Amino acid sequence: MRSITLKNLSKSINKQSIISNINLTIPAGKFFALLGPSGCGKTTLLRLIAGLENADCGQIFLGDEEITHHPIHKRPVNIVFQNYALFPHLDVFDNIAYSLKLKGLPKEVIAQKVIKILEAFHLEAHIYKMTSQLSGGQQQRVALARAIVNEPDVLLLDEPLAALDFKLRERMLIELIDLQDKLKTTFVYVTHDQFEALTVADQMAIMNHIGEIEQIGTPKEIYEFPHSSFVARFVGTTNILNGKLRGIDQEPEIEIPELGRFKVYMPHKREWMKEGQDLMVSIRPEKIFISKKVPPNFSNQIKGVVQSIVYHGRSTQYNVILANKMRMQVFEQNEEHFAQEVIDYDNEVILSWQKENAVLLEK
Amino acid sequence: MKSSSSQIPFATGAPALIWQILFFYLPLALIALSSFIQLSETGEFEGLTLSHLTNFLTPTYMKVIGSSLLLAFSNACLCFMIGYPLAYFLAFSNKKYKNLLLFLLIVPFWTNFLLHIYAWFYLLEHKGLINQLLMSLGIIDTPAHLINSRFAIMIMMVYYYLPFMVLPLYSSLEKFNYSLIEASLDLGASWSNTVRRVLLPLTSPGIRAGFFLVYIPSFGEFAIPELMGGDKFMFVGSVVAQYILGEGTGSLGSAFTLLSCAILLVSAILLFLAIGWILNPRRHRV
Repeated sequence: MRSITLKNLSKSINKQSIISNINLTIPAGKFFALLGPSGCGKTTLLRLIAGLENADCGQIFLGDEEITHHPIHKRPVNIVFQNYALFPHLDVFDNIAYSLKLKGLPKEVIAQKVIKILEAFHLEAHIYKMTSQLSGGQQQRVALARAIVNEPDVLLLDEPLAALDFKLRERMLIELIDLQDKLKTTFVYVTHDQFEALTVADQMAIMNHIGEIEQIGTPKEIYEFPHSSFVARFVGTTNILNGKLRGIDQEPEIEIPELGRFKVYMPHKREWMKEGQDLMVSIRPEKIFISKKVPPNFSNQIKGVVQSIVYHGRSTQYNVILANKMRMQVFEQNEEHFAQEVIDYDNEVILSWQKENAVLLEK
Repeated sequence: MKSSSSQIPFATGAPALIWQILFFYLPLALIALSSFIQLSETGEFEGLTLSHLTNFLTPTYMKVIGSSLLLAFSNACLCFMIGYPLAYFLAFSNKKYKNLLLFLLIVPFWTNFLLHIYAWFYLLEHKGLINQLLMSLGIIDTPAHLINSRFAIMIMMVYYYLPFMVLPLYSSLEKFNYSLIEASLDLGASWSNTVRRVLLPLTSPGIRAGFFLVYIPSFGEFAIPELMGGDKFMFVGSVVAQYILGEGTGSLGSAFTLLSCAILLVSAILLFLAIGWILNPRRHRV
């Protein structure tokens, strides 16, 4: 297990910049997720680390060792491809043994290692099957086993679960977390799916559309305290309100045209937080309380009309229209079979939230 | 109309099958038959005989068949060695230029075959372009002997047969999933290991198709050795032509054709197995 450090890494393909000037440290022995929209360059970043692409400029370090110009097959890094890239002419055993044979290990050692990993992945019944005879989930596990048997310092995973159905994906996520916990190998997991990233990651980075890193942190930091509206919108669902900052020295508030003033919370004062400054406030839908009567002890309240209701099972989503025609989303947990207060279409409702649960964002 | 589904394959294949029977299997049977028929001087049927066949079981004729096998084999190998990298380049080249490159590969077929031969004459002859060029560069003093040589035959053979190798290889490589190469490299294989363990085994259908598309017709090739080799070399094609076109030697020609075809078939089966063995991934098994 070693860390990865990227310094000023840039790459363009066909004269189009894919990623530019990336600086990133992926800590050793951690499960690191790289989350970004499709086409943001996250796969390219992974391929640069693996050596499948050459950087235009910048450096890649594995621990203290620079590997920027090492050929692919000499990097102690393995990648699990999105399409698995299992060798169709080899059976499960030979697929997994591939890297071990190249190292010239004795036959008995190879057989031992392969069988051990097959047992760990519950694949021992399929040892002599061709990969085309396996289900998607089994193929996924063979691809993982093939990469891990090589004992890489860093394991790169390129949207490895994209082709699996939801239930299987959930199970594989847990298996991956357990595996990383056991091996302590540095995992770099690339995905566009925020659910996967939030589930697996110890640390994660968010990339934007133009191949820049917007924020790095733990899943909780990213979700609860996004640094930009891009992160707030991309990770999870949120309501963004535009307004001007007021009363910065006494009790800070945001003034929203046609809606009034709302209290905000400023734990750290940033440079852009100035009196009268245009900015945004992000409020997660589950942090808003919806009711017909005015509830006590909330710092902020606003009136609206229920436009639509979407039932999700564990929660219900209310879309509420405010006085300025803006739509707010609210999630309520369905805690009881029969709610105390039934909220229906076209009802007038009060939305309430605590100022600590809203995040100020630079415009 | 459920019942018709089983009739479709036959209906669609029938015209080709009838064509094949009339113009291939039937003539082949006639050739086989005439190899065993003894005719009198006036052309009357006298009985069956093996003498036409045994007539050719001499070192001279075996040498002719042997040199044809060698010609076919070396042509197929050379075409493979030149054609595989070319097909690889075509298959993984930029999509924009792919069709243009394929078109360039086919273009030579649009001109007459004899024109190609004469073009090569002009290049290879005593005072031809190549000799002139080499002499003016001071690499040689006297003109090299290029025309009417094995070298000239080989050049023309490869030149003519290369597309038959490249096209099946190309179609096989085009379907090849490039990430398998990346996976192999990523798992620690060098390029040569990747070619040997992944690329060649997975494109073996194309390799086999290309190899035999070149090997089999090369064996009986008549025009190229005849025109490029002068009268110095004897190959199967020339012997067959000599007997079939000769007066009253039709049966001998048929017998020689039959014999050489049988030997070609045996050699092709052996080569087929050999290629299979070389490309078999299980050879690398623990």
